Amino acid sequence: MGSCLCKEKKRRRRRWSDEQQQQQSADDQADPCDSRRPVSSISGRLIIDHELPLPTRTARTAAVPCPLTIDHLVLETLSVIRTLVENEQEPPASMIKLHVIADKEEGWLALVTSMVRVIPLEDPLGPAVITLLLDDCPLPTRESVLRLALLFNLSAERSEEGRRFPMQQRNICVVLGCIAEKMAGPNSIAILTKGTLDYLITNLLAFQKEDMNPSVILFSLVALEKFAQTTENKMTIQRYLKEYETNPLLGLEQWIGNPDYVKRQVGFCAQWCLDNLFLVEGRPFSFNCVDLSNINVMLNTKDVSEYLKISPNGLEARCDAFSFESVRCTFQVDEGIWYYEAEIVTPGVMQIGWATRDSTFLNHEGYGIGDDEFSLAYDGCRQLFWHNARCEAQSRQCWRPGDILGCLLDLEKPEICFYVNGQPLGSSTHVTSNNNVFKSARSGFFAAASFMSFQQCKFNFGSSAFKYPPVDRKFKSFNEHAHLDAEDKKILPRHIRLEQLRKLSVRDDSCTLCFDDYASVQLTPCGHRGFCGNCAKQLAECPMCRATIKEKQPCERFRSATQE
Amino acid sequence: MCSLPRRIIKETQRLMQEPVPGISAVPDDNNARYFHVIVTGPEDSPFEGGLFKLELFLPEDYPMSAPKVRFITKIYHPNIDRLGRICLDILKDKWSPALQIRTVLLSIQALLSAPNPDDPLANDVAELWKVNEAEAIRNAKEWTRRYAMDN
Repeated sequence: MGSCLCKEKKRRRRRWSDEQQQQQSADDQADPCDSRRPVSSISGRLIIDHELPLPTRTARTAAVPCPLTIDHLVLETLSVIRTLVENEQEPPASMIKLHVIADKEEGWLALVTSMVRVIPLEDPLGPAVITLLLDDCPLPTRESVLRLALLFNLSAERSEEGRRFPMQQRNICVVLGCIAEKMAGPNSIAILTKGTLDYLITNLLAFQKEDMNPSVILFSLVALEKFAQTTENKMTIQRYLKEYETNPLLGLEQWIGNPDYVKRQVGFCAQWCLDNLFLVEGRPFSFNCVDLSNINVMLNTKDVSEYLKISPNGLEARCDAFSFESVRCTFQVDEGIWYYEAEIVTPGVMQIGWATRDSTFLNHEGYGIGDDEFSLAYDGCRQLFWHNARCEAQSRQCWRPGDILGCLLDLEKPEICFYVNGQPLGSSTHVTSNNNVFKSARSGFFAAASFMSFQQCKFNFGSSAFKYPPVDRKFKSFNEHAHLDAEDKKILPRHIRLEQLRKLSVRDDSCTLCFDDYASVQLTPCGHRGFCGNCAKQLAECPMCRATIKEKQPCERFRSATQE
Repeated sequence: MCSLPRRIIKETQRLMQEPVPGISAVPDDNNARYFHVIVTGPEDSPFEGGLFKLELFLPEDYPMSAPKVRFITKIYHPNIDRLGRICLDILKDKWSPALQIRTVLLSIQALLSAPNPDDPLANDVAELWKVNEAEAIRNAKEWTRRYAMDN
């Protein structure tokens, strides 16, 4: 399960809507105070300076457990979340309790401040868990969010003072990003006060002094990006950035390819922002500058779920969305032995491997590569192989930034092998023989990967030398055999792409469902027309009258002028 | 992003050119499948005068499956729960690919005019709606005033 996190949530939502009554009564019975544990049992784990003010006693209502209890639940959620891999697994009790607590305004505030206090900087799933917990809580009211802003008390000074507490600062930025995204619109505008903006931009500027933890800079940048989803905020941020002689993002962009993997993420995000959101006059778009002469295979911008960010050279990808984002490469292989490598930039959940065209990207349901019968992937964070949404554990350490995942597809045998830094992962052949991806497909494979929130990696399809080429068999690299036209190599910024798409016109004899193909099918017995063969194939009943379809007959082209 | 299906482009163009009265649906700058929606509370309903924000998302297999729609503004309504999820047949088993974003939003607006406490999603609300409609309507008006009028 791609992102078990996303999936867990979606599944639970389904249950809510299907069995609303039961859930409702369960909610009513669950008493958040049940979760109280002796404080002593957790004190050892809370080696944290309480720099952030706790909600005051008078502000808390009786229903909200004490902050230490909430801290404990948050840490428990963080520690069990990576074990959630089964589709039918219940969400952890700690998470359910937190949701009950966050249902009330005071509880929500207590949860947010707790996450800021205790989510450790180094946990690879930390920011994703903040996102997940906030995403599953009822949306806060405008008042709650404004109260939170007061509690954070953000300003340029706070950014300066906060440098001693990078963990809290990073978490504050993650929280701001989540709220900006979830409350896009007037509420997002209300939170982006001068203080918030001063705080975030001062965080960015600190890169010059080297006294700021790069994670804080990274998530400040991500927060700004999410605020900019609301157009008015985007303009406010633009105006603010223009006041600087040199736009701070231009400085951060220099961190692309930095040997420090966090700085490298900052560089990636800064470049993405400069190309997509906060354009700077006189700066050419990256896709116009990058040298692609040696690159014949890329991540396919036409075969990717909607939020994944792809670098201008088409080889590096990053997800900053809630969803589980997936992509395939441009080159398809049908026979022979093939190998590629992925350099791990972030140590969180990614599922990297092989997929055919039939593998679907259900990013919002949390399904990705390895979650259907047409794909097989390795997730080195949770150390699991994935095929057909089933996983198999690998006894290895969690992968680390800089690790190289090698992916070998041998269609002669057939088998798929994975390597971390040249070391073969034991039971991959076991997985392939048991859950056989080759039963579903013997050809038509692509390199493919899925990314949880805030994850990034860089692919090498052979345009540079492989770090750990397999020695036990002769393989081919995509780059030697593929070809891309110059036009197809352009990774266009989103606004340019969307603009191009919107200009598209539609013929009036197109299918009334997809507008892609000619309307050429008539349904019987109801007689309705206006559908193409491909759409008709997917219909069980008539879209117009819901009559059961007996036959789908070819007919003359249907003009839709009368349709609307 | 995936190449955007023509169907979505076409619907978006039409929503922009001929907006539905009382409903605004604007695609997100970064994601053409995600719409920011505002529905005005219908006249002669307890929601009159309110502006209700919703989010609408077109899944990968749209229009073969229904859009995912959710209220973001809190609302007191027997068919809408506290997380904003909507109980409406055309969003579930009665979906048809011939329906569109605009027809979906019109149906939701109609649901505000005609709450259906016999097919509830928010149980406590539905219960009150059945046993004491006057009080339920007072609550709905109060929530509208409190949550849907601040902007």
